[in-house]
Amino acid sequence: MKRATSEAREKLKSAMGRLAGGDRGALEEIYRATSTKLFGICLRILKDRKEAEDALQDVYLTLWRRADRYDPERASPISWLATFARNRAIDRLRVGKVRGGSVPEEEAAPVSDPAPLAEDMLIDAERDERVHTCLEKLDDKSREAIRTAFFDGATYAEIAENTGTPLGTIKSWVRRGLMKLKKCLEVGR
Amino acid sequence: MTDDLHPDDVMAAEYVLGLLEGEELLAARTREASDPAFAADVAFWQDRLAALLDEIAPQTPREEVWERIAAELEGASDSAKVISLNARIRRWKMATGFAAAAALAAVSLLVLSPSQTPAPVVGPDTVEAEPLAASIPIGDTALRLAVTYLPEREELFVSASGLTADGVHDHELWLDPQDDSPLMSLGVIAPGEERRVALSPEVAAKMADGSPLLLTREPLGGKPPEAAAGPVVAQGRLQKI
Repeated sequence: MKRATSEAREKLKSAMGRLAGGDRGALEEIYRATSTKLFGICLRILKDRKEAEDALQDVYLTLWRRADRYDPERASPISWLATFARNRAIDRLRVGKVRGGSVPEEEAAPVSDPAPLAEDMLIDAERDERVHTCLEKLDDKSREAIRTAFFDGATYAEIAENTGTPLGTIKSWVRRGLMKLKKCLEVGR
Repeated sequence: MTDDLHPDDVMAAEYVLGLLEGEELLAARTREASDPAFAADVAFWQDRLAALLDEIAPQTPREEVWERIAAELEGASDSAKVISLNARIRRWKMATGFAAAAALAAVSLLVLSPSQTPAPVVGPDTVEAEPLAASIPIGDTALRLAVTYLPEREELFVSASGLTADGVHDHELWLDPQDDSPLMSLGVIAPGEERRVALSPEVAAKMADGSPLLLTREPLGGKPPEAAAGPVVAQGRLQKI
């Protein structure tokens, strides 16, 4: 299992390298290896299949045009791609809200429960554990607010509105949680 | 109770989580670009939090998404073709003295409005056919109707950017096939516009080097089905470029 993971990572890394050289086959290889993961992320943030598909298309086309953005020294390719997909999906979410209001609740696609998967493309088992351990140490309110921001792309104002909690209170929960989280994560930085 | 909190310490995290809006978001973006320490904090948070994304169950997108991506890539390679086509048109213009600038502009439509459907797959044994062009002088004016035809796409680019509508007539462009078969319509001209027109395979088959093109004056909307074609007001000839 571990072996398969590192092999998959090396293959992906090599495809990302070829992509920067303008190899179209590399883009398809990357797509085949990562699109289900990245689509899961887009869908989770956008909660609408059509929007998530548009976001996914945008992610790979931007990747194609700006393949030079990825620095193999700095991050594992799947971790970088996953973050990139989340950021693009959040951008789209914000733009959509400015334009025509958020997706109504009833149109939102059912979101599967968070379930860690023993997939080839796990980002990094060790760090994964670390961030989970650190999050577990936070009080419930801080943890919930941070998770909502991360997984639903919610802003301070939206979390405050959705939970009926004053904005200042949310900010102080989150900030307190982030301070603790930072200390915990920095162990071994 | 928040006295011990220094929001600045966690601003990078707030930014990465997407909590910020408005001025705060703008401030964070500016700092990311200008303050290397802040940028390093952003990278740290992105890196560590990325591991949480493994919690999200993968979902399979429709195959159509990849098809759309592949079609866009196909379109991107069209821009390279347009560049080489533009060079050909320049040579053609110098060789013939035709004002083909408008045709250049029309061909740029290829880049600006990539077709929604994926381009037809061209097999490795397909010889890329030569593009054809015509420059049709309008009456005794300096204006010209510029026409460019790309055989491999079966698409015609018509630039009528110098023309204005008179409000009572339309002009229709015709191909006069070299095998003496009847005139084939290439469509009504849109004055002042550049258009791309997809030709039917029957018409495309007759588009050949040397074929005459005719412009007729018709009632608004083009030649009525039962009527004969109107008077020929201008003509030109397709040429290889």
